[in-house]
Amino acid sequence: MDNNKNLYENAVSDLLKPIYPNRLFKIWMAFLIVALGVCVYAYTIQLRDGLGVTGMRDYVSWGMYIANFVFFVATSLVGMLISAVLGLTGAKWSAPIARIAEIIALAFAAVAGLVIIVDMGRPDRLLYVFTHGRVQSPIIWDVTVVTTYVVISALLLYIPLIPDLKICSERLDKAPKFQRRIFKILSLGWTGSDEQISLIKKCTRVLAILIIPVALGIHTVTSWLFAVTVRPGWDSTIFGPYFVTGAFVSGCSAVIIAMYFFRKNYKLKDYITDMHFDKMGKLLVLLSLVYLYFNINEFLVPWYKLKKFDAVHLQEMFYGRYAILFWGTQLLGLILPIILLLFRKMRRPSPALVISLFVIAGAWLKRYLIVVPTMEHPFLPIQNVPENFKFYSPTLIETTITAGTIILTLLIITILSKFLPIIPIWETKHNQNESKED
Amino acid sequence: MQRKSTFKIFVLFTIVLVNTGFLFGQNWVVPAEKKAKASPFLFTEVTSKQGEAVYTKNCQSCHGNPGKDNALKSLTPQPPDPAADKMQKNTDGEIFYKISEGKAIMPSFKNILSETDRWDIISYIRSFNKSYTQAAINTNASTSSPVKIRVKFDSITKKLIFSAKKATKKDSVPVVDAETEIFVMRYFGNMQLDSSQQTNDSGIVAFSIPEKLPGDSTGFLKIIVKMNDDATGEKSDTFKLKIGVPTIVPGLTANRAMWNVVSKSPVWLLATYFSILLGVWVFLIYVITRLVKLKKLGKETK
Repeated sequence: MDNNKNLYENAVSDLLKPIYPNRLFKIWMAFLIVALGVCVYAYTIQLRDGLGVTGMRDYVSWGMYIANFVFFVATSLVGMLISAVLGLTGAKWSAPIARIAEIIALAFAAVAGLVIIVDMGRPDRLLYVFTHGRVQSPIIWDVTVVTTYVVISALLLYIPLIPDLKICSERLDKAPKFQRRIFKILSLGWTGSDEQISLIKKCTRVLAILIIPVALGIHTVTSWLFAVTVRPGWDSTIFGPYFVTGAFVSGCSAVIIAMYFFRKNYKLKDYITDMHFDKMGKLLVLLSLVYLYFNINEFLVPWYKLKKFDAVHLQEMFYGRYAILFWGTQLLGLILPIILLLFRKMRRPSPALVISLFVIAGAWLKRYLIVVPTMEHPFLPIQNVPENFKFYSPTLIETTITAGTIILTLLIITILSKFLPIIPIWETKHNQNESKED
Repeated sequence: MQRKSTFKIFVLFTIVLVNTGFLFGQNWVVPAEKKAKASPFLFTEVTSKQGEAVYTKNCQSCHGNPGKDNALKSLTPQPPDPAADKMQKNTDGEIFYKISEGKAIMPSFKNILSETDRWDIISYIRSFNKSYTQAAINTNASTSSPVKIRVKFDSITKKLIFSAKKATKKDSVPVVDAETEIFVMRYFGNMQLDSSQQTNDSGIVAFSIPEKLPGDSTGFLKIIVKMNDDATGEKSDTFKLKIGVPTIVPGLTANRAMWNVVSKSPVWLLATYFSILLGVWVFLIYVITRLVKLKKLGKETK
């Protein structure tokens, strides 16, 4: 019993330690804030001069921003996969990384909303989306479901955190007073009574079930923004599942990358172990294989038929202007990671990190390939327009703003992971006690 | 001898060829009496401004902005820039005729634009020509006495009887030999009925009307009559006659549909959207009430 208590005490101090900001953290934060400042400046230029500063024109009216939006929504789906699907099936190994997944989900989903506002030339007219929105439009469905998903993700992050917030308010004696006060208020007077425990369990369970259809909904609806049109490359009935599986792939790699950095910087080797990387690696292989299956469907079937306009689109992708990007993405971002991750050695932390970086870069470029080439091939002939109307290429300002959204996401993740215990403390202990009783 | 005649044939052939090319591609012959036609009013800055509005709406998409040389190059024959010599060397009457009648891909505007509109356009076009001076205006038309038009449907012969009379100081006299046309108002414009005819000595024309013309819900048709007489100018009038088949056309946005406004969106869609939304948020509100309870429990134990 004493031994067990000691173990718990050690765990608490281990897991609370990263919460005190150190030098490295300050440098990293300073870097993020300065970089974000530059990007915000780029955005003020866009606000002043309008969307003309981007590469978007009459024909390609969806560019890097929309590709980035799809990527953000996609990556946020991992919260549902890890805390709901793995949690409900009783996979205990995933408990220590559930909060990482939730933080990633919340940060990406919240910034996804901002990305859409960035894509609006007149953000001051945002309110009109709600006052004049049409229920018939998938855009309204998307706005609804993204908002709901952000709320569920926030609750799913917050509720299991309540006992930990109490621990933080009591144990973080070196932290500033106001920080401990905030922790105390947010812990809602947690006492650890059986009634409170059962309430928390009940709420978590309701949310874990609820988030599954909502998460499927968010990305299916995002795919419908494309699939309800008749344009070559988007006119597909499997776009929903194709997007959802692709989302899990990019989300999984994001979690692996986050796991690596938290483990290294917050010294959590005993909690995020090689086993976790191994399991996540296996999960990534499985999801990538499913995604590969959908990719084959999505490209092989239209390629076999080569309908008039599909042919133009596919030729550009397979051996035209987008060939290098397309094959690079498919080979380096999907096929090679699958092959490599089949080997146990490649699922160790460092190689898993490198592979995940390739996968996530591939995931981003894949969204670009879904959005842009189709826009360049409308059914109506493009005539009597300047050259830059025909081919889209993102401008520096556009790229900077896009980078800004990624930096903002990193900033949110950094802050949340710094001021909250990244590994659930109370849950770890509670699970230990429960398994002892079994 | 033989050589000489071959040469003659060659020359003849060339002349014919060049002339045909000229005829089809370049030359647009306007009847002499139309060529001399002059505007009924003086071109001023005001008329030119009005003409610009009409031009922008009806002509600019092909002829471009005058003087900017941005007419649509992909058309054959290429529409001339109104400020260019090719257009400006025409007389006012010629331009008026060409706008009115059209040729090949140039549409006829006589049923689309009123005479005043057409003259306004010419006023606008001329404002790009510094060396232009307006010929004497057609005072005949502007000082003409009022013309009275009557229209009557003869149900036995199924003909529309048109009559025009000009009031003089004492009496009224029929308008003779005036070009007359009738139209019926449709959704997107006016459809001409029968062909244009000249009024007879009594100022009367009989137009045949197609049977079963769809009318409004009670069978009324809007008939537009246009009469053009060199002496009296253009005269147009609209009559509402009960000679059509009563037709009830449901409005395109009358029923619930995906493309309609929110208040007329399909019921199944509204039901699906709001039931899903409600279903999810009921649970979320439930969770929030549990959190409130959690806080209460914490206070009680203290």
